[in-house]
Amino acid sequence: MLTKKADIITALILMLFGLIVAYDAIDKGIGWGAEGPRAGFFPFVMALLVIGGTAMVIGQAIKGTSSLKGAKRFVEAGGMKPIMIVIIPAVLMILLTEVIGLYLAAIIYLVGYIKWAGNHSWRTSLLIGILVPLVSYVVFDKFFLIPMPMGLYGAQILRF
Amino acid sequence: MDILSNLMMGLHIAVQPFNVFVAFVGVVLGVIVGVLPGLGGANGCAILIPVTFVMPPVAAVILLSSLYWGALYGGCICSILFNIPGEPWAVATTFDGYPMAQKGGAGRALSAAFFAHGVGALFGTILLTFFAPIIAAFALMFGPPETFGVMLLTFSAFVGLVGKSPLKTVVATAIGFILAAVGIDTISGELRLTFGLVPLMGGFNFIVAVIGLFGLGEIFLTVEEGLKLEGVKVKMKWSDITSVLWDMLKYKKEVLMGAIVGCWMGFKPGGATPASFMAYGFAKAGAKADEVGEYGKGHVAGIFAPEAAAHGAGTSALLPMLTLGIPGSPTAAVILGGLMIWGLQPGPMLFKDKPDFVWGLIGSTWVANLIGLFVVLAFAPLFAAVLRISFSILMPLLIFICAIGAYAVNNRMIDIWYMILFGIIGWAFKKLDYNMAPMLLALVLGDMAEATLRQSLIMSQGSLWIFVQPPIALPLVLAAGVIAFWPAISALKARLTGGGEPAH
Repeated sequence: MLTKKADIITALILMLFGLIVAYDAIDKGIGWGAEGPRAGFFPFVMALLVIGGTAMVIGQAIKGTSSLKGAKRFVEAGGMKPIMIVIIPAVLMILLTEVIGLYLAAIIYLVGYIKWAGNHSWRTSLLIGILVPLVSYVVFDKFFLIPMPMGLYGAQILRF
Repeated sequence: MDILSNLMMGLHIAVQPFNVFVAFVGVVLGVIVGVLPGLGGANGCAILIPVTFVMPPVAAVILLSSLYWGALYGGCICSILFNIPGEPWAVATTFDGYPMAQKGGAGRALSAAFFAHGVGALFGTILLTFFAPIIAAFALMFGPPETFGVMLLTFSAFVGLVGKSPLKTVVATAIGFILAAVGIDTISGELRLTFGLVPLMGGFNFIVAVIGLFGLGEIFLTVEEGLKLEGVKVKMKWSDITSVLWDMLKYKKEVLMGAIVGCWMGFKPGGATPASFMAYGFAKAGAKADEVGEYGKGHVAGIFAPEAAAHGAGTSALLPMLTLGIPGSPTAAVILGGLMIWGLQPGPMLFKDKPDFVWGLIGSTWVANLIGLFVVLAFAPLFAAVLRISFSILMPLLIFICAIGAYAVNNRMIDIWYMILFGIIGWAFKKLDYNMAPMLLALVLGDMAEATLRQSLIMSQGSLWIFVQPPIALPLVLAAGVIAFWPAISALKARLTGGGEPAH
């Protein structure tokens, strides 16, 4: 995908976002109420800025007067794969967090990532992958008393 | 002198053992996040805010501000040794810092940067100490229209002076304000922009946005560009430090000019980056004929000027944050957000209501910057070693820490998902020239900006004329207009005088 196309698509998405906000704002009232300007007034003005601004961004992109190099690829060839290697395991970790809690999910995530994506030895992977969540558990849960998500079953497994 | 006795009180608070310890921890953590690509002061502060809930507010603000100073010090380690600017304002330092390090002068380049930071910090702190009370006293006269005018000025500075696309800055700012408005309207108590969805009713937290936009977004960019960390090894010797001190006397003009430019640009939003480039440009333009050729090849003054400017700008960014409640940099915005969470109302009243808090912060700015200078001079090679850890180990650890920070704010699982979402948005926005600093500022200031706007309109019964009333609101709004349209005005001027090409 070319940068120009990505620019236009992003602007269209933001414009849609602006329209949704404007719709809700009108629904809540953008005029003058008993309390002065009503709840939708400020979001409505901002939504107008988004809609107008993105319309002009699209105009600039089509005319080629944007600050971007429109003819360049948005993501260089081979650039998407490393990003996916970062995002997908991270999303999997969060999904796992919903089930077994952040600390246990992080152990699986860290050990797995360092071992397979990073090609490090088992010793390094296990050492860092177990030690860091364990230390964070002691620091946050025990010392600062900031609880981390335990998921559905995490609290039964982590019993100390 | 009133200010001096207040300063003594602040220093007294800052040198209490616990506060010195907190400042030290903050500085060390700050240098680490400053060194790491993908983390910066804004992120570090955002992740630490939940930890500050268990501290008294003075210690909490000392922790966050010390982290900020540490991050400023740490940013140059990355750009000098690895030619990777950790922050945008460190770009100018790579011009001369990296060549000098490559030629075997890594220790000298780092000492030069650290001492320049020290001078910048000194100037910024003096400015903060002596001007903050004056500006705060002046700001006490502000009502809602004037406060709104100051905000208008802040955001118009982003539109007119910072970033590549003024139009996209407007869009990003408006999006920030919209995200801030999601949830309960603070004035009428009505739910809005929630579309009946429960997770949206709690609104968006700026801390989660910071961690996503500035943390994960940066990480995605870094892996996309295929980061190669091949740095120069460093050893700090006494001779490096003494020779740099002599250099500093020789190039005192460049150092002082850098610090002053930094302070002048710093209290305007987004000022640190242009300040560092301006200082570098001035130093080069004012160089002796036989030295101009040295710039870009490892000239020590090419490190002094931009680094002094960067730290000066970073320090003076606290000035508008403390006195007006308007932060001058993303990190200052996060600290301001912290203030609100601790139950303090930022703005001029803080000087009257909580003098121990304000002067404790100012006092610790003196203390923590000094600690920072010693820490980086003594342990620079150790911090550089952090960068030698393989990125495939660092990266998942960073994501794990970011997830902890995002969750801890409100103990909501949805925030971790928002964090990933903001990360992807941040990555795309950065690539498409949408400026994220004003978006973050709008998210932090959203409630206040909206409240001042609506209160002003209530005062005037709906008339917009209240914003152009003399003596304070009118010049503020006029200045905001001029600054916002500055690119268009300068293009017009160029066309009228025929002195060059129009701006596009």
